[in-house]
Amino acid sequence: MVEDMKGKIRVFCRIRPVNRTEAAQGGAIVVDKIDEFSVTIETPRGQREFQFDKVFSAEASQEDLFHDTNRLIQSAIDGYNVCIFAYGQTGSGKTFTMVGDKEQKNPGIMPRSFNAIFEIIRENSAKFEFKVSAYMLELYNDRLQDLFVSQAGEAHAQTQSHGQARRVEIKRNRKGVVFAQGAETKEASSAQELYALFQQACANRHISATKMNVESSRSHLIVGIRVESKNLTNGSVSTGKLSLVDLAGSERAAKTGAKDHQLKEANSINKSLSALGDVISALSAELPHVPYRNSKLTQVMQDSLGGNAKTLMIVNISPSEFNLDETLTSLIYATRVKAITNNAQRNVESKEIAQLKEVIMKLRSGQSVEDEDV
Amino acid sequence: MASVNSDEWRAICDKFTNAQNLTDVESRNDPENDPYRSKYKARELLREIYCSLKSFDAGEGEEESGGESGEQPPTEQPVDGQREDGFGQGFSGDSPAGMRAAKLGAVEYYLGVNHVDTEELSAGQEHLMNCMKLLERCRVSSENVSLFIHVKNQLGILWAGRDETEMAQGFLETAESMYQRYMKEDGSPPTDMTEYFTSEENLLTHQERTKRFELAYTHTMYYLAQVYKNLGQTERAATYCHSTLQRQLQLNQFSPMEWALNAATLSQYYITKGRYMEGRHCLSAATVISGLAGEVPSEAAAQESETESERREHLRQKRAEIARCWIKYCLNLLQDSKKLLEDNIGELDTDRQDELKRARRREEEEEEKGRKSALLFGSEDTFDSIASLEEKVLCLFPLDFTEARSVFLVGQNYVTQAKEYFQMDGYVTDHIEILQDHSSLFRALAFFEEDLERRCKMHKRRVDMLEPICNDLNSQYYLLIRRQLMFELAETYNEMMDLKLTLANRQADTQSLDNHTIKKFNNLCSASAKYFQMFLDSLCSPEGKFPEVLEEEVLRPALVARFRVARLHSRLISSVPPIQLENLNRSLENYKYVVQYCEAHPEAAGAAETELELSKEMVGLLPLKINRLKARMAANN
Repeated sequence: MVEDMKGKIRVFCRIRPVNRTEAAQGGAIVVDKIDEFSVTIETPRGQREFQFDKVFSAEASQEDLFHDTNRLIQSAIDGYNVCIFAYGQTGSGKTFTMVGDKEQKNPGIMPRSFNAIFEIIRENSAKFEFKVSAYMLELYNDRLQDLFVSQAGEAHAQTQSHGQARRVEIKRNRKGVVFAQGAETKEASSAQELYALFQQACANRHISATKMNVESSRSHLIVGIRVESKNLTNGSVSTGKLSLVDLAGSERAAKTGAKDHQLKEANSINKSLSALGDVISALSAELPHVPYRNSKLTQVMQDSLGGNAKTLMIVNISPSEFNLDETLTSLIYATRVKAITNNAQRNVESKEIAQLKEVIMKLRSGQSVEDEDV
Repeated sequence: MASVNSDEWRAICDKFTNAQNLTDVESRNDPENDPYRSKYKARELLREIYCSLKSFDAGEGEEESGGESGEQPPTEQPVDGQREDGFGQGFSGDSPAGMRAAKLGAVEYYLGVNHVDTEELSAGQEHLMNCMKLLERCRVSSENVSLFIHVKNQLGILWAGRDETEMAQGFLETAESMYQRYMKEDGSPPTDMTEYFTSEENLLTHQERTKRFELAYTHTMYYLAQVYKNLGQTERAATYCHSTLQRQLQLNQFSPMEWALNAATLSQYYITKGRYMEGRHCLSAATVISGLAGEVPSEAAAQESETESERREHLRQKRAEIARCWIKYCLNLLQDSKKLLEDNIGELDTDRQDELKRARRREEEEEEKGRKSALLFGSEDTFDSIASLEEKVLCLFPLDFTEARSVFLVGQNYVTQAKEYFQMDGYVTDHIEILQDHSSLFRALAFFEEDLERRCKMHKRRVDMLEPICNDLNSQYYLLIRRQLMFELAETYNEMMDLKLTLANRQADTQSLDNHTIKKFNNLCSASAKYFQMFLDSLCSPEGKFPEVLEEEVLRPALVARFRVARLHSRLISSVPPIQLENLNRSLENYKYVVQYCEAHPEAAGAAETELELSKEMVGLLPLKINRLKARMAANN
């Protein structure tokens, strides 16, 4: 039975406000939050409803959203491996959710997390000693790249010779220590320092994308923050980790055919039928094993989920009819991501049950049943 | 071409070549802020070609109306992709009118694709439809069939992109039947689209023409697979995936590793449908074809070069993934067989076994026929290797221990292979999943083992495999995996406990058991209870508090765990009354929890109905037993 106790991912849905362009174009609003857990979308084929662990409407503030994720930060410090994924098409408010606005008048989850971590550290500084370190990676073209390394020089070298960059891998061991092999990990002693590191990483990301002529929608940002806490009383050390992943370009993340109606094409006669694997793996939701194809992203996500009890995905959507397709895609994908917890009903009575029934019969009939209850 | 100036014609051909070059080669270097620059240029050239062709038409139009066969071109029919025709009416494909139509059609085709590439879908559609209309005035022939199929493919993609799946289906299905009919009635290597504007000396070989034509049809299969999937016709989609894979191999148009992984994934689909023969075939082909990807670079080579290192990683990983698919094959085959053979308490039903064995003889003949009709993978080189791999493992349900063991050994072999790559440190979750599969393989095999002693040893292997891991893993990170392991260990110890008891009872004629056996029994019993309890403890908060409300995904396991702890405590054997009392109290406590929880949360009752029912009984009956014991204890003092 326990085979079916898979990891559970909590999924929040956040609807952003109508933006200026949409307002000017006068498009209809097709998305509606009907209650704390449900959202509907009007499609040409009728209304569809989706359920999530929580739904945030356009009126919800950054505060509101963070309030629900705050507990996760505490868990990370307690020694759990916590992952927060943000998902959505560019323009759906994903960056706003994860990072906030440029001026940081409305900071998003990342800066708030940085603050929260150090808050908690401050509160516990009497009993614990803390060490905070981080690695920041970019994933594009199925490669993990260290964002602490200036990309300008690297990128040039890479365009000349096919990808001779150092390989970065995210690995986990049985102790739960997650390490980014091949990438630099930097320490931070304050929220400001951590944020500065983050800005540095983002800056590097932008440069790297243009030099490689890569659409930004194909690059994902992975921030890993490690918090090591030493109990000053008994000297025990525990390590927790907070992973913040910005899944840009949902059409890349959801290679399992989330764009349901669109066919993956092979226009150029020489292009391989690259999506055949996606089609096959989507034939059933219950495939015993789905081999990883080149999707590093699937690997990264899977690895962060394995055995983990604390994962949150925030799916960002636009309310406007102009983005109906993308919104529907995102919602469908998010629903698939929520794990299915099937407790397959066994129609075979277990031996235990059968034996116990026998015992009960005997007890009831007044027979004495000795210690060997057989 | 007599009336067309050869210089003019050459100019057109050059333009066409330029346009192709711009579209396929130059466009890759277009800057990010002007990504369609080359394609816009190509478009201009194509338009010029179109105008030139039309102007030639105007020149010779009068003479050619009517065509060679004296037929009038058919009146405008609604072009909706649904008509099967094309073989009957119209200009002959190789007539001047037919050739003209094909050439114009080709330009329209390229313009169509150009517009689609640059995100101008409506314009793209218009051009593609124009192409269709031009071609539909001709009979299908080797001069136009390739273009015909290409344009239908494109229209299929386009309509699918608009969420009009049925429209897409229409175009693609007519492409499919057009190909099939053409191959049946003609079959000669058809003109490729690129050849309409080529000089004589640059025409393609028959071989190349065939290759491209077949590739176009492979695409049709590929798109239809997707369309059927979108329509929810999964079986059909699977068939088309299978056909696509098959064609890739036959036409030698595949990348080995990618093909192998796709075949391995398809095998998993077949497994969910219980189609083990097809599954086995896919897996065998996957293994053979993955071998074509070459040798794995040695560690030394990998150290020296980044490329070699990546290649080594890539090959090793993919092959390990295929091994995991094989493991699932063996495991599912054994488990499905068990389901067929087990009685209502999970033991092997010998009557059913005999029945199935008799039925089997008939099935084996069917298998032979089935093979012929099933789609076989491979080419001349690989048919044999694939077949020989298939011979190594059953695809029919194993019906006795010998057969089960053979399947088990194949599975175990793949476990070893998979673990070589998916090592613990680095691939924790993968490694553990493989171990869990290994444990399940043992469990399934144990079902077939008649000798109880050996059966017990198999369960011991499971314990030895999983116990160290369970205790070694970081308890917070791997919470969920640990819970799975705890539960499995608890159930395994329980199995062993029962087996020991059955064994002991068979040996001893007398009712009572010797101390040695009792001790063993109690150890196993306690171990089982310990792991169920560990599972329950894992639900507690950091402060050690058991949750008031059980969350949905742990509700049933938690109730069952409580129930089992209760049961196990009542089975502990002791001759010391105070200890007996304690055991019974613990037992009662846990039965009570189940009853009380379900009273407080009525919606939970459905999660563990039988357990609840029995717990209620025990809550009623145990106190009586406890009181009798207390009475005896008092009397003896």
